[in-house]
This record gives sequence, structure tokens and C-alpha cells, in this order.
Amino acid sequence: MNEFKSGFFVGGEGCNGRVLIVDDEPDIRKVVRMTLQKAGYDVLEAENGAKAIETINAGENRLLLDVMICDIRMPKVNGIEAIAYFRQNYPRVPVIVLTGFPDTDMATSLLRQGVVDYLVKPVEGDKLKASVARAMEQRELAHL
Amino acid sequence: MISNLPTSDGGRLPPASPSDAADRRSDQEGMAGVASVTSTSATRVAIIGAGRGGTALLDLLHQLRTIEVVGIVDRNPAAPGLQRAHELHVPVYDRIADLIGNQGVNLVMDVTGDPSMDRILHDQTTGGADILSGPASRLLWDLAQHESALQGELLHAEKLAGIGSFAAGIAHDMNNPLQLILGLAESLADEHDIETVHLQARDIIEAVKRTTAICRDLTSYSRRASSQQDSLIAVNGKLDEALKIARYAVALQDIDIHKAYQPDVRIKGNPDELLHVFVNLITNAVQAMEQGGTLALETRVRHGATQVRVSDTGCGISADLLDRIFEPFFTTKPPGKGTGLGLYNIKNVIQHMHGTIEVESHVGRGSTFTITFPQETVTEDRSGPS
Repeated sequence: MNEFKSGFFVGGEGCNGRVLIVDDEPDIRKVVRMTLQKAGYDVLEAENGAKAIETINAGENRLLLDVMICDIRMPKVNGIEAIAYFRQNYPRVPVIVLTGFPDTDMATSLLRQGVVDYLVKPVEGDKLKASVARAMEQRELAHL
Repeated sequence: MISNLPTSDGGRLPPASPSDAADRRSDQEGMAGVASVTSTSATRVAIIGAGRGGTALLDLLHQLRTIEVVGIVDRNPAAPGLQRAHELHVPVYDRIADLIGNQGVNLVMDVTGDPSMDRILHDQTTGGADILSGPASRLLWDLAQHESALQGELLHAEKLAGIGSFAAGIAHDMNNPLQLILGLAESLADEHDIETVHLQARDIIEAVKRTTAICRDLTSYSRRASSQQDSLIAVNGKLDEALKIARYAVALQDIDIHKAYQPDVRIKGNPDELLHVFVNLITNAVQAMEQGGTLALETRVRHGATQVRVSDTGCGISADLLDRIFEPFFTTKPPGKGTGLGLYNIKNVIQHMHGTIEVESHVGRGSTFTITFPQETVTEDRSGPS
């Protein structure tokens, strides 16, 4: 159990869900992981869209990933491209955008594409956890 | 200022040979591929007086291709215009007769403010040269000052307009450390392990420092270019500083950056204005590489000149547009995305620093902007790099 080829797995058993945080800033991944782990989530990390795609296609992640939290401005495959890939190939995995740059047009466009929430840094831990919890509910409803 | 000019050869500031100076100027411009001034088409101007007025006039006229400043004269060897003339390879004289007697002068400009100078000039001017003095000369000096002030205003306005495009980069770089600070602070509220508290507190302090550095960089960049005397600028450091600023305007994540710096390259000029030039060139280069590519920054001293090259592997500029890119208000960007003043201002700043700028571009392969400065600006005292 809990053996992932990507090496990004940091959570434990009996979790509330499995969340992938995609952000090029290690500090952001660190603080999001810290917040969500305290709330009982397993957390995977990816430093860009390419790593995110690699991660979800590794081992059992494709089956067990519950929520993706994704930054927009990243190297290689950026957030927009990564979200498009996830929406097409893993439509049941809800995506939350966590970005440093509030852009109304982009937010509208992404929400139309099925992104469940658009959060602007800095976001409080409670707000982040509530967003993830709503995304989890949405995923469960999708499975019904 | 220069009434009662000495009639003997003072020899305090030995004049350069006018023909040598003209050759050097022609060589510098030819090296950068810029059409050089020819004696047959240029108006040959002599400047009388090397105080503030003479210096401003010299700076202005030196930029005009249709004018050749054949010399400047002042009795005071410490007059600022004489030092400026040396930098520009414009011959300096301490006797009016030596300047206006045998140089084929078309126009004599008197900016001494000395009422008696008009008569002296009329007595000594030969060959039918026109004399501009008194109120007319004063008007010209006022216009030169006004033009200089306008250039400064234009540069600052264009810089401020460009800073608007920094919003995404600033937000990204500010909000990331703020997210860390908020997350750690929330964690600290529930943390009982003192060692963890200390570690997280230190992380918060470092994040605050990063945020502060962003504000400091931007505040420094957005200020009006100082009007202080030109100073020696460490070019490599200025390019790195520009790269740091440019990343607020453009995302560098998918850009490979190659630096090829010759050590200790320095030029003389206004450091704030040069930073603006570099930021603009780097920003343009990255914007030309929408799908990523390579940004190359190079400094070198070659053939008696200092060169700074900014290259990209982007979309390139078509041949029919190349001749227009330095025109004011010319832009290929969508409405609202560019002022069309960036390269125009760059050209003006470089010219003011007595350098030249040229571009080589191939559609689909990229562009290279090369700025060339005369070597003399490199070899001066190195005690005060900016």
C-alpha cells in the first residue's frame, strides 16, 4: 500500500481522500500539503503540468486520485494545459485552481471548462479545506 | 564667459585634429551599420562657449546626422562642455580664431551670453558662415533643454506604461510568499513543538524578506531616471538586474537563458536609463518566443568597442518592418499591449550615450539586437561602478 512510482506520495492510510497539488513553488506545495495533511488528506506533489500528468498516470493514482489543485503560471506544461489534459482524460477528478494572479476572464473560462473552484493566493487554510471538501462531494456524486 | 579670450596658444586642452575626430566618428557609426555623416551633406557647426548651454547644444547637435560639430571653444579649461567634447571626439579649442577660421564652418553658435561676443565673431568669421547669437541663440538653447526634458518625460511615461504589464508577475511573486506566510502562521497557532515553531518562524521571516525585495526592486525601477552625471556602469550586473525585473513582465519558465559575459565590462552612462533599455530588450525577446526558446545575453569588447547583444530564437521580424521598428508609435502588438515607444526610447537613450543599436532578424529564427558603445567609455577609472 502507498507505493507510488512517482515518489511523490507523502500521505498515510485511512485518509479522507487523495489530493494532487501542482505548483512550481516548493513553498506552496509544502504549505498546502501541511494544511491538507492535518485535515486527513493524502497529498501528492508535482512541480509542473508535465509532472502532474506523469504522476496521475503512475501506479494506482489514475484510480485513486480524488482532487487536483493546480497553479496556472508554471514551466513546461502550464496550468491551463494541464487542466485541459485532466478534464479530457480524467473528467471525474475535480480541479481546483490556486493561482497568484486573479484574472476574471481566466477564472470564467476555467470554470466553464469544469474547474470547480478558482482560489487566489493567499488563501486561508479553512477556505482551502472547504473547497477540497466540496470537490470531494462533487466527485462522490459523480460516482453515483 | 569667454570674453577676452587669450590670443596665445594656451595648450591647456590640446585640440584633437578635426579630421581625425571626424574619421573616428565615422568609423564608430560605420562599425554599427549606421549611415555616417558626410562632410558634403552636413552643416558644419562651431559652438562658442562650453558652459551648460554649450554642453546641452553639443549633446543635441551630436545626435543629428545632418550636423557635424567641428569644434567647441572656451577659455575655461574646466568648462563642462570641453570634457563632453573630448568624450564625443569633438575638437576643443581655446582660441575662437582657430575654430572658426579654417574649418569650413557654416554656422557659428554663440551660447556665451556675452553681449560683446557678437562683434568679436563678426570680426573673425570668414567664408560667409552664419552667426547665431544673442536672443536667437538663447532660444535655441531653450529648445535644446526643452527637447531634453521631453525625452526624459517620454522615457518615464513609457516605463510606467510598461510597468502595468508587470501585474501578473508581481502578483505571482508576492502572493506565493504570502501564501506561505499565511499557511505557516495558521499552523503556528496550533503548534506546540517549540523546535517546529522556531523553524516555521524562520520560514516566515525569509518569506517576508523575499516579498520586501520585490517591492524594493520595483520601487527602484519605477523611479524617474536620475539626472545625475553619467557614471561607470557594470554592464553584466545591469543585465542581470534587468533580467530580474523583466520576469515580472514576462514568464521565463520556458525560456533557456544563456549568458556569455566578458568579465568586468563597463560603460559610461545613466544606469537607470540603461536598465530600462535592457529590460525592454529582454521583455521583447521573451515575448517573441511564445512557444519557449533561448534568450542569449552577451557582452564583449571587440575592435575597440563594447558590445551588448540580446538574442532570441523567436518569431523574428520581417524585412519590411525592420526599418520601422525604431519609429515612434510603431508596434506590432495588439491595441493596448504596447505603446510603440519602447524601441524608439531605447534608440534615444543609446544615442545619448553615444552608442548605436542595430538589429538582425530572420523570420521564424529569431532576432539579435546589438548595442555598440565606443571603447573610451570602458577604459576610464573603475572606482565607482553603479
